[in-house]
Amino acid sequence: MSRSSSRALLALTFILIAGGLLVLNLGGYLQAAEGMALRPLGALQGWLSQRVTAIQTLLTSPTDLATLRAENLRLEAEVARLERELIAVREQAAEAEVLAGLLGYARTRPESRYVAARVIGQDISPFIRSVWIDRGSDGGLQQGMPVVTERGLVGRVAEVYSTIARIQLITDPQSSVNVRLQSSRADGALQAQLNGELWVEAIDQSASVTPGELVLTSGLGGAFPSDIPVGQILTVRKRDYELFQQAVVQPSADVENLLVVLVITNFQPLAPPGAP
Amino acid sequence: MAYVAGTVVMALLAVVQSSLLNRFPFLNGTANLILLATVSWALTGRVTEAMLWAFFGGIFLDLLSGAPFAVSSMALVAAVYLASLTEGRFWEAHPMAPLGVMAVASLVFFALTMAALWISGHPMDLALAMTQVVLPSAFLNVLLALPSSQLAGRVREAAFPPPVRMG
Repeated sequence: MSRSSSRALLALTFILIAGGLLVLNLGGYLQAAEGMALRPLGALQGWLSQRVTAIQTLLTSPTDLATLRAENLRLEAEVARLERELIAVREQAAEAEVLAGLLGYARTRPESRYVAARVIGQDISPFIRSVWIDRGSDGGLQQGMPVVTERGLVGRVAEVYSTIARIQLITDPQSSVNVRLQSSRADGALQAQLNGELWVEAIDQSASVTPGELVLTSGLGGAFPSDIPVGQILTVRKRDYELFQQAVVQPSADVENLLVVLVITNFQPLAPPGAP
Repeated sequence: MAYVAGTVVMALLAVVQSSLLNRFPFLNGTANLILLATVSWALTGRVTEAMLWAFFGGIFLDLLSGAPFAVSSMALVAAVYLASLTEGRFWEAHPMAPLGVMAVASLVFFALTMAALWISGHPMDLALAMTQVVLPSAFLNVLLALPSSQLAGRVREAAFPPPVRMG
């Protein structure tokens, strides 16, 4: 057998083995093995990610202004808290208008419980937008749980292993979030493009959507709790001959530079991940 | 020994790719360290090792990705096999040969990955994928092809020196 044909045979063998692994994985038979392999890889990811973040911080911030940085962080957190309060107040006002006829009814929402997790790595495939966090099923995480930062929605838990989990970001093209526009009360579906751009699709043509309007989760479909800030409308595309209008959204959370996220652990999603 | 050492290096490269390299994208693309390492190693003539490393490197990549498991393995093995076809060609020794090989290997790798994602139901806008991911990533891979292949050549010389006939 010539050298080139033996190489072709070797390549074919590896590809067939990989194909076999693919089939086994689709059947769910490799879950335990994946979990075992990811344990040391996740630990290594966490270790390296901490060092990289420390070096990045060292390079990008003035070293002699530690107090100023701490103060700045405190003020940023304060601004974020006030923004959230403002959003909540506006949302309550809009809802009060809609629910004016239902006197005596007060909408109650259970307090969310959170698990904080550090982002330790990003998805290796450039076609998939997801991040790895350093908490898994040992920390009470389950598939489908919503993930937020203090600024708004980030995504949801897509895969869970014992010590790490993968978060599908809202900027992943496969992600879909049912949203509501705060002022116009129009519903839509948030979809991402491959370049990370977010679009709200399927907005009713009659809705009066304006740039700057806040986009919140609607809770429809049961995949996410309602009223989590998602972003703000940047531009609106409305054409008379189309059934729906679309809008480009600037996400509230900086999903490209996540360091720490909060997983909402007391919300049970109704729809499986990936479903709108 | 080379098989085991290479596989450990592939695991480390996958972690570096996930924790470090993906923080610095060019448009939406990044250089693929495992593709660079395995194709460069194949160009030194150690194709069997390169193929095994590509297989395990792909497994590590897919462990740290939401892509269908073992797809990167298939794509990397195919890319390494293509790189091995340059052996014995008249232009094999040309100093610029790694650039062309890396460009073709990158495109083959992304074509197979995109096909697998598309088949598994992942939305794929071909024009955006080409302009935002494939071409920038291929550009970065080509940019790093020369230093990568030179490093691979030196490692090969150090680890596997050519036999010297005495007398």
